[in-house]
Amino acid sequence: MIRNILFYIKEAFLSAKKNIIISFATVICLTASLIIVGIFLIISLNIDIIIANVESQLMAIAYLKDNLSEEDIRKLVEETSKLKGVKEVYYISKEEALQKLKEDLTGHEDILAGMPDNPLPASLEITVYETGSLEEVTLQLGQYNGIEEVNYGGELTKNLMLIFDFVRKTGLGIIIVLLCISILIMFSVIKISVHSRQQEIEIMTLVGATSWFIRWPFIIEGFLKGLISSLIAFLLLSKAYQYFIKQIEKIIPFIPIGSEQEFIIKIGIILILIGTLIGIFGSMLSLRRINYEEL
Amino acid sequence: MFHVFKTFPNKIHALWDINIHIKKGEFVFLVGPTGAGKTTFLKLIYRGSLPTKGQVIVDGVNLSRLKPSLVPYLRREIGIVFQDFKLLYDRNVFENVAFSLRVVGTKNSIIKQEVNEILNIIGLYHKKNTNPHLLSGGEQQKLCIARAVVSHPLILLTDEPTGNLDPETSWEIMKLLFKINVWGTTVLVASHDKLMVDRAQKRVIRLEQGEVVSDIKKGIYAK
Repeated sequence: MIRNILFYIKEAFLSAKKNIIISFATVICLTASLIIVGIFLIISLNIDIIIANVESQLMAIAYLKDNLSEEDIRKLVEETSKLKGVKEVYYISKEEALQKLKEDLTGHEDILAGMPDNPLPASLEITVYETGSLEEVTLQLGQYNGIEEVNYGGELTKNLMLIFDFVRKTGLGIIIVLLCISILIMFSVIKISVHSRQQEIEIMTLVGATSWFIRWPFIIEGFLKGLISSLIAFLLLSKAYQYFIKQIEKIIPFIPIGSEQEFIIKIGIILILIGTLIGIFGSMLSLRRINYEEL
Repeated sequence: MFHVFKTFPNKIHALWDINIHIKKGEFVFLVGPTGAGKTTFLKLIYRGSLPTKGQVIVDGVNLSRLKPSLVPYLRREIGIVFQDFKLLYDRNVFENVAFSLRVVGTKNSIIKQEVNEILNIIGLYHKKNTNPHLLSGGEQQKLCIARAVVSHPLILLTDEPTGNLDPETSWEIMKLLFKINVWGTTVLVASHDKLMVDRAQKRVIRLEQGEVVSDIKKGIYAK
């Protein structure tokens, strides 16, 4: 077995060396398309992160009537917590609300100066497990006596999600098209490689090599080209992305984009997986049939 | 072969109702003018082609019923030598012979031993590191034979092995084939080298326009 594997690897290198210019061109083409795939992958994964972030912040705010007693409020919190889909209910008193507003308006305190009393209502911040149930929860909240009005970032959030979804789907479409093109590139290159080694393949079939024995060196050749291309693409992309993150963080400090080592490694693993699979698939495609007849 | 017919897609009949039995260990010449069907005859034996009608049975196996995945295992029992050599010119003599053992997964130590042995027998041992380009026609033909028999096949098929060689070298090749036959290998030689066939005094099957016109023990080339 090991003897055979050594033979395959040796033959794979021999074949790549024989067509060195084509091998080189293949790696460049594959690297280029993998970089584009990588860019869309990064965009798509970042959209996921942003969506998750936005979703975690989505909540309904129920403004309470002013005349509620502490007991009423306690009851209300208890009841609303039991509503289907509700994750957490957090009470914000009139004082806390004012405090928060003051913090938000730092530098513009004069706006509040003319107010004699605290005009803000107490409220409940209600988070849900799934964004989809937010509308339903809001409707139910409106039916409580102690609640004056319910608000959630409805339309705006919905639109935002639609845009993100569109970008993500378009990205996915582009990735799929690019992957097909890459497989075709690999297919043609291995075909050329197979053609240039026609004599060897013919002799192999004549002396009794099995079809898999003949295929393996080409599959390894495709795998290696895919691996090298994806490594180059990953190296270039990760450098560029790290630079991009630094620049972006200077402008928008708290934007929730993937910047941790883990995120970049994840991209790397996906790219290498895609690259090597393209190599393997492309080779298999060009060697579907080994011809043992009509030599 | 039992009632074997081979018709090409362009309706040309390459072989017509062939009934031939070749015994194990025999030495047989297949003669006839160009286009008589000699090469097709050989192809049917190593399943390089399937008959349009009829049965080809090799070593007890009906080739029409042989699964494609088992063809490689049939080929391991058959050595094939072509007129156009089919050598690998980017590998040396040793590697060319070793190639046919490597692709069937033979151990390196055995490859070394077997290849050296066969190169010694055919007289090419001293050129084992030479590129086939630098060999004469006769030497290249010997190299092909070495590659075909290094795995000790049951059957050796040779297509015009002396086609481009001078009479002296041709006879040398013939002697090599006789030697291989003596080891127990069934040898089939397609040839139109009249001189060699007459001199060899072996069984001669004559094909003309795809039909067997004569089959004579200790025959000669002439009709």
